[in-house]
Amino acid sequence: MSKKDVLGPYIRVNDPNLFVNQVAAEPGGEKVRECIQCGVCSGSCTTSEWWQYQPRRVIAMIRAGMKEEVLTSASTFYCVSCYKCTVRCPRGIKPASLIHAVEAIAEREGYRPRTRTMPLYRSLRDSIKRGRIWELGTFIRYYLSVNPLTALGALPTAWALFTRGRLKLTPPKRTKGADDVVKIIRKLQSMRTETGGAK
Amino acid sequence: MRYYAYYPGCAMESEGVPIERSLMAVAKILDIQLKELEDWTCCGCPGAPIHELYSVSIAARNLALAEKTGLDLVAPCSCCYRNLMNAHVTITEDPRIGPKVNDALSAVGLHYGGGVRVRHLIDVFVNDIGLETIAAKVKVPLKGLKLACWYGCHETRPYGPDNPEFPVWLDQIVEALGAEAVNYPLKAQCCGGAQLISQPDMALKLVWKLLDNAADNGAMAMATTLCPLCHSNVDSTQMRVNRRFKSNFSMPVLASTQLMGIAFGLTPKEVGLDKNIVPWEKVLSPYLKVRA
Repeated sequence: MSKKDVLGPYIRVNDPNLFVNQVAAEPGGEKVRECIQCGVCSGSCTTSEWWQYQPRRVIAMIRAGMKEEVLTSASTFYCVSCYKCTVRCPRGIKPASLIHAVEAIAEREGYRPRTRTMPLYRSLRDSIKRGRIWELGTFIRYYLSVNPLTALGALPTAWALFTRGRLKLTPPKRTKGADDVVKIIRKLQSMRTETGGAK
Repeated sequence: MRYYAYYPGCAMESEGVPIERSLMAVAKILDIQLKELEDWTCCGCPGAPIHELYSVSIAARNLALAEKTGLDLVAPCSCCYRNLMNAHVTITEDPRIGPKVNDALSAVGLHYGGGVRVRHLIDVFVNDIGLETIAAKVKVPLKGLKLACWYGCHETRPYGPDNPEFPVWLDQIVEALGAEAVNYPLKAQCCGGAQLISQPDMALKLVWKLLDNAADNGAMAMATTLCPLCHSNVDSTQMRVNRRFKSNFSMPVLASTQLMGIAFGLTPKEVGLDKNIVPWEKVLSPYLKVRA
C-alpha cells in the first residue's frame, strides 16, 4: 500500500483546493503553515478591538479549512496595514501580508463581507488607471458606490482642506505614464488568462 | 551638493502642498538637489491589499525609470516609500513574482534590474546630510518648544530605515534644531488614515488616542515625518475628534521640514504654514523672525 493510499480518503495535503493551499499560493500568504499560534500579532494589532476574528485566529481558521467563515467575515478588512505584527512575528510570517492575501482572495472570488473598506480599495485600485491618484474623484466614486450620505461626515475635513488649497479640484493631466500604467495592467490581465486563473 | 531622484507621490499634489513647499525651501538651504522623476506615476499603494501583483508592477515602472538616472530614489511620503521598497524587495527576492513583473514591464519597454536604492527623506537628512550640518544652519533655535515626534507606520515598518519599535531619528532632528522631544509611548502608532474614509469611527478613535497620549506627556505640538497622509490626517480631523470625544485638542501638526525652515529663519509662508489647519501661531510666535 502506497503512502498516498493511506492519506487518500482523508486529507490530500497538497490539494490546491484546500483553503490553506489557496492562501499559501497567494502573494503574501506563503508562510501560513509556519505559524506557531503565539498570538503576538493579535496582541500587537492596532485595531484588534474591532476584529470579530483576530489575526491569530484567522490563521487558525484558514488552517482548519473554514473558508466561508473567514471570507464572509469583515474582520480582515479592519487591517490598517501598520505592520506591527510583521516586525514582531517570531516566525517571520508577515501576518499583514497574509491578511491582505485573504482580502485579495475574498475580492477575487466575489465575497462581499459587510464592510465599506472593500469598495474603497476597489475604487482606489480602479483609479490607478489615470496614472496618478486624483483623490476627490476617487472618493466621490467611492461614496456613490456605498451610501452617499456617509460623505456628510467627511465634509468638514474636505472643506478645511479645500479652503487652504489642499484639495485638488481637477483631475491630473493624461500623460504617457498613464498610458504605460494601462498597458501594464492589460498585460497582467492577459498573463492571468494565459495561466488560467489565480493571480 | 547632493543629487537624488525625487518621487513626490500623488498626495503631494493635493493635501501635501505645504509640505512640498517647505521641503523645497529646506533642500535649497541644505544643498540637496531633488530631481523630480520624469513622468512618474502612482506608487501602486492604493488598493494594494486586494491586488499585490498590480501594486508591485505599477511601482516597478517608477523603479525602472529611477534606475536609468543612477541616483538614489527618495520619497517624502511614507506610503510611497514602503510601496516602492516593497516592490524592490519583492522583485529582487521573490522568484515567483520578479519575472512576472518584468514581463509586464516589457509591454512598455522597461526593465527593472534591482539596482535602485529606495530611501526615505528622513534617512537622507540624518545619515547623508548629518545632524551637525543641520544644527550649523540653525539661526533661530527652537528653545523651549516641546514636540511630540510622531513617526507613523511606514517610515519605520516593515522595511525600516528607523527602528520599528522605538524610532529616534526625528527626535534627533528636532533636538538639533534646539527643541525638546518629549518621550511618549505612542510615537510609532498608526493613525488609521488608510481607513479614514471607509471606517471613520475607527480612524478617529486612533487619532484621539494619539493626540491624548502626546498631550498627556506635555507636547505643545506634533512633529511629523514628511508624510503628507500622516500630516493631513491628524491636522484635518482634529475638530471632528474634538466634537466626537468632547475633547479640546488644539495641537498644531508640523512637518519636520516646516520646523527646520522656521529654525533656519524662513518665514511661515515660505514653509507653507499658512496652509496648515490647526492654528500654530501661539506655539511658534517666539521663533518667527521679523523681517524688516
